[in-house]
Amino acid sequence: MIKIDKVIKNYQNGETEVKALRGVSLEIQKGEFTSIAGPSGSGKTTLLNLIGCIDKLDLGEISIKGEKVSSMNKKEKTSFRRQNLGFIFQTYNLIPVLSAYENVAFVLSLLDVSEKDVHTRTMNVLKEVGLEGMEDRKPAKLSGGQQQRVAIARALVKDPEIVLADEPTANLDSTTGEDILKLMKSMNEKLGTTFIFSTHDPMVMDYAGRIVLLHDGLIKSDKNRR
Amino acid sequence: MKFLISLAFKNLTRYRRRTLITAGAIAIGIMMFIMVDSMLRGAEYESVRNLKWYETASARIYNSEYWEKRYQMPLDINIPDYKEKVQKLEKNGYKVTPRISFSGELILNVIDFGEDGSMSIKVTAIDPQKDSDVFHFNDTLVEGRFLKPGEDGILIGSWLAEDIGAKIGAWVTIVTRGNGGFYQSMDLEIVGILNCPNPIVNRNLLMMPISTASDYLEMEGAATEINIKLTDNANVKAETAVIKSLIGNNNLSVYSWEDLAFDFLAVLEADRGGSNMILILIFIIAAVGISNTMLMAIFERTRELGMMRTLGMSDSAIRLTFMFEAMGIGIIGSIMGVILGICINFYVVNVGFDFGFMLRDIDIGYRIQSVMRGAWNFDTAVIAFFAGIIITTIVALLPTRRALRMDIPSCLRS
Ligand SMILES: Nc1ncnc2c1ncn2[C@@H]1O[C@H](COP(=O)(O)OP(=O)(O)O)[C@@H](O)[C@H]1O
Ligand SMILES: [Mg+2]
Repeated sequence: MIKIDKVIKNYQNGETEVKALRGVSLEIQKGEFTSIAGPSGSGKTTLLNLIGCIDKLDLGEISIKGEKVSSMNKKEKTSFRRQNLGFIFQTYNLIPVLSAYENVAFVLSLLDVSEKDVHTRTMNVLKEVGLEGMEDRKPAKLSGGQQQRVAIARALVKDPEIVLADEPTANLDSTTGEDILKLMKSMNEKLGTTFIFSTHDPMVMDYAGRIVLLHDGLIKSDKNRR
Repeated sequence: MKFLISLAFKNLTRYRRRTLITAGAIAIGIMMFIMVDSMLRGAEYESVRNLKWYETASARIYNSEYWEKRYQMPLDINIPDYKEKVQKLEKNGYKVTPRISFSGELILNVIDFGEDGSMSIKVTAIDPQKDSDVFHFNDTLVEGRFLKPGEDGILIGSWLAEDIGAKIGAWVTIVTRGNGGFYQSMDLEIVGILNCPNPIVNRNLLMMPISTASDYLEMEGAATEINIKLTDNANVKAETAVIKSLIGNNNLSVYSWEDLAFDFLAVLEADRGGSNMILILIFIIAAVGISNTMLMAIFERTRELGMMRTLGMSDSAIRLTFMFEAMGIGIIGSIMGVILGICINFYVVNVGFDFGFMLRDIDIGYRIQSVMRGAWNFDTAVIAFFAGIIITTIVALLPTRRALRMDIPSCLRS
């Protein structure tokens, strides 16, 4: 499903070169619930950005669903993301002027979905994440956990095969974070969506089916917990 | 698309203060635009009117050889038997008045003026009964009375009167050369002071009766010019041709006011260029303001922008959203600006601004003495309205482009 082959990514930080990824190879199968773990600065975000087609690698290759995304141009990547990938962010990144409903429906408005379908799909997914009755609330009127639920709904509403989440629980207290992970896990099981999320919280790792441990831009271990 | 418009609208109402400040800047720009344009048009309109009322009339007949030598004001290159021509033109329905213009020396004596002195002057000898058919001097009398035919009297412009300390009842002597070159001196009593709204005229106006001048200067029934008034909407070019054929004398030529005031019109053209610069400047200042607030608006939302791009919103869709937002601000600002502009224009048109302190001493070409009034112009309001919207929309593109050039991870990290 996802094939990462000897990926190298360096950042230029003024004079010095930061080696964020130093040859990472990894394969992720459909339906996996994978955690990218590792201390801060180990390259988790960089790796997720590359899989998410929002950054460019220096060397190596990434292909998703048989498509070589690492050599796509900007436009092709945008379209690929729109069609195939869902995203969840550490800071939720909801549009403050829009209601929960509109924040989710926004994703479908980028795709060719009929107005009627937009409504049913949005209402359904909001119900799935436990936000029934809160559709009209603006983000400011929702708790952190509820906002992240909206974000999960936003990621799932277009029924993507892959959802990428960079530290989705880092801004939440541990109970709420656990709830979010449970929700993600249940969605993974129910819909078969592939989830890849990064974290540096050991508790979070308990939920992962597979833990890829990064250290200094290299994979230190790769464990299947099943 | 519908979604983009609604998002833009929601952002407008959410960042209400910013929206209002930016719209306010646009509104002030548009208001200034309407006001300045109104004043410039008003000044132009009034200048042309004051030019015709006090300087050129609508058209003028000269001896064909006069034009080249007009600055010397020769008396011998003239219109013989002007009364016959005047009658003929009047019979054909034209309003006309003859004049004799000459230059000379004004002698001031110590008794009336406190000290002896003299200055070069131009004198216009008018027909006191007919002059008001064409010109408007009798409305400008501020002291004394208008001229009577045949008297040894003189009218003086108020600024000149102030300069030389002239009072009603004082006597002045004018020394000049008559028709044929002989020296002649005339003693004339100041009977009236005119405050002519045309500053060029008011600065050196001296008028005496044509019959008196004719006697002193031995004009033998000749005048140097015949002035003609045409209706406001007359075709001046066509009328001058008709007049030319009516007088049927090849030694005489007819000049339109545009011919006579070609230098004024050239200055006007230059002023127009200058005023366009003012208008462009106003728009540039407004545009910089808009661009800055849009820049702030966009950078405030960099992370939001990064999210939208991550989720696969195309650059063109993002650009469109911000353009809609700017357009919304532009529409609000333009509506406010046009309303404000119209309100302030009531004042500018009906009351105006007094620039007398400046126009008295500086000649900027405009034939306006003190109060500059505006003129209504519907086109300007329409142009300003749409320009406000279009410019705001276009100006928003620059900061949007800058934000879109940032890579997505940097947007998300900010
Ligand atoms: N845009 C950047 N410019 C320079 N260095 C960067 C940039 N992004 C990340 N890095 C560096 O790359 C390394 C990996 O970063 P990151 O992938 O964000 O790690 P993590 O997400 O695991 O904390 C770090 O040393 C970080 O400082
Ligand atoms: Mg990170």
